[in-house]
Amino acid sequence: MHQDAPSSDAAAFLDDAPCGLLQTDAQGIVQWANQLFCTWVGYAYADIVGRRKIQDFFTTGGRIFHQTHWVPLMQMQNSVSEVKFDIISADGKSIPTIINGIRSQRSGVIVHNLALFIARDRDRYERELVKASERLKAVAARSAELEVIASDRALFAEQMMGVVSHDLRNPLATIDLSAMVVAAGDLGAHQQAALARITRATSRAVRLIHDLLDFTQARLGKGMGIARADVDLHAIMSDSVDELRSAFPGRELLHRAEGAGRCEADADRLMQLTGNLVTNAITYGRADSPVIITSRIAEDECTISVHNVGQPIDAASIAVLFEPMARGAAMPDGTRSIGLGLYIVREIAKAHHGIVTVTSNADEGTTFAATFTRRASGTMHIG
Amino acid sequence: MFFAHGFGCDQNMFRLLTPQFESRYKVVLFDLVGAGLSDLQAYDPAKYNTLQGYADDVLELVEQYASGPAIFIGHSVGAMIGMLASVKKPGVFAAHIMVGPSPCYINDGDYIGGFSRADIESLLDTMQGNYLGWSSNMAPAIMGAPDQPELDTELTNSFCRTDPEIAKQFARVTFLSDNRAELPWLTAPTLILQCTDDIIAPMTVGEYLHRTLPHSTLAVIENVGHCPHLSAPSLCSSAINEFLVQEAL
Repeated sequence: MHQDAPSSDAAAFLDDAPCGLLQTDAQGIVQWANQLFCTWVGYAYADIVGRRKIQDFFTTGGRIFHQTHWVPLMQMQNSVSEVKFDIISADGKSIPTIINGIRSQRSGVIVHNLALFIARDRDRYERELVKASERLKAVAARSAELEVIASDRALFAEQMMGVVSHDLRNPLATIDLSAMVVAAGDLGAHQQAALARITRATSRAVRLIHDLLDFTQARLGKGMGIARADVDLHAIMSDSVDELRSAFPGRELLHRAEGAGRCEADADRLMQLTGNLVTNAITYGRADSPVIITSRIAEDECTISVHNVGQPIDAASIAVLFEPMARGAAMPDGTRSIGLGLYIVREIAKAHHGIVTVTSNADEGTTFAATFTRRASGTMHIG
Repeated sequence: MFFAHGFGCDQNMFRLLTPQFESRYKVVLFDLVGAGLSDLQAYDPAKYNTLQGYADDVLELVEQYASGPAIFIGHSVGAMIGMLASVKKPGVFAAHIMVGPSPCYINDGDYIGGFSRADIESLLDTMQGNYLGWSSNMAPAIMGAPDQPELDTELTNSFCRTDPEIAKQFARVTFLSDNRAELPWLTAPTLILQCTDDIIAPMTVGEYLHRTLPHSTLAVIENVGHCPHLSAPSLCSSAINEFLVQEAL
């Protein structure tokens, strides 16, 4: 059944409907409006119908959008949904609304039926989202900026470190060579002792430079460079321990070899790793008990471990032990100037696809163990 | 005959107009880069930061598709894009047809473009709240298209759907452009289709264009709104035909 005019019940419903309802002609001139819409905009029914266009209630921007988007869409698809317009009421207040519209023909005349819903919360939410996304953009831009600065600084530091270390090697080599020349002469006991101190201090400075270069490369550069070759691990460790014995006269160093076979590793780097661990063990371990160096070859993995007896490392220190610049609380003065040793140990292990673990307690003492893959192509099965 | 749409929608805007010319002319329809079904990968924010970027595209299109004298029909900002193409390469178009054109939307001294900068900001604000289905995978449910079953429901809003960032930049470039200085250089015959009641291109703007363009014809179309090619297509096509006869094209 088709009715031209709504029944009085239906008319009352339309007037009180929980949304603004309008009928306009093709140009937007209002031909009918429900009571709620009149209340929203603050005009009497008679002041709206036949006198105002729907777009008269829009902002200027809304009117442009209406002409450039809404009107063509209405004409092309006969309906538009979910378009947001701000309605300006008689007292100048702005009401954000969502408008749905249908275009149809009634007795050959085009009519637009519009339903308006207040969208204050959606509007607020959207504005928050826009603000948040702007903030995010600003933060992202700032972080990109900082990243560039940081990478510039890192590059600069790396280059600096390289230049300084390189330049320091020459004077150190001169000192070392001159000490050898002086040693060949006729010296008293006093001068010989002084010369020995010069030689030790020089070799410590050389080690420190190596550490710094490795640190720079591992930390700021492209990681620690290693070259794995087929080697006899036990033989390398045996040589390494011999060298360390002469560096630490008066201390007992024991080497144990477990398992047999060859492995793929960087021999110089493993000697450096062992040297760093043994230096630590000598520094922190009890002077009257031996430092035990074990090289172990298993089917897929190799381990180098260094054990000493002495005051255990507390849990808090263990957590930061391998970070650069960390140092033990009980460290005697003057042994090392900066704590790069364990950091480098970890980097060497990492470069060999390995890890470093530490166990430390009063009963068993302290053991550092570097475990890495036996083959360059291998992967670790941790746990 | 090249058809360039304006700000807001895409080439579908001409669907009621092109049938009038298809039998006599080779019709070339295109979407401005960033609008409609254009390749969004081709959208370069630096290039399209001025209307000249779009005008350069038009010149490329003519190079590739024109055979014989070319006629340019542009709606709204599309008309100015065609004008800039002709100014850069005089003679590229034998004639221009401008539908609801405006060389400058912002009021400036004695010149009444119809808008202030604040109005354009409020447009950007309205656009911010309307993505027209851009961000959703599915177009919003159509509420029935009683008289046009040929319209696929999936097309809902697609004519006016644009990447929000691109739409905002295009709105700025369009409404903040001022092409008044270039007008005297457009020597090709030009038809101005001016609507009687158009808030975007008011009558005064059409009259200004008619005064300033060296070789122009002003045709006033009885129409409310900015899209006479949709709401009054037959008035448009007869005015265009008259102009084409007059210019022997």
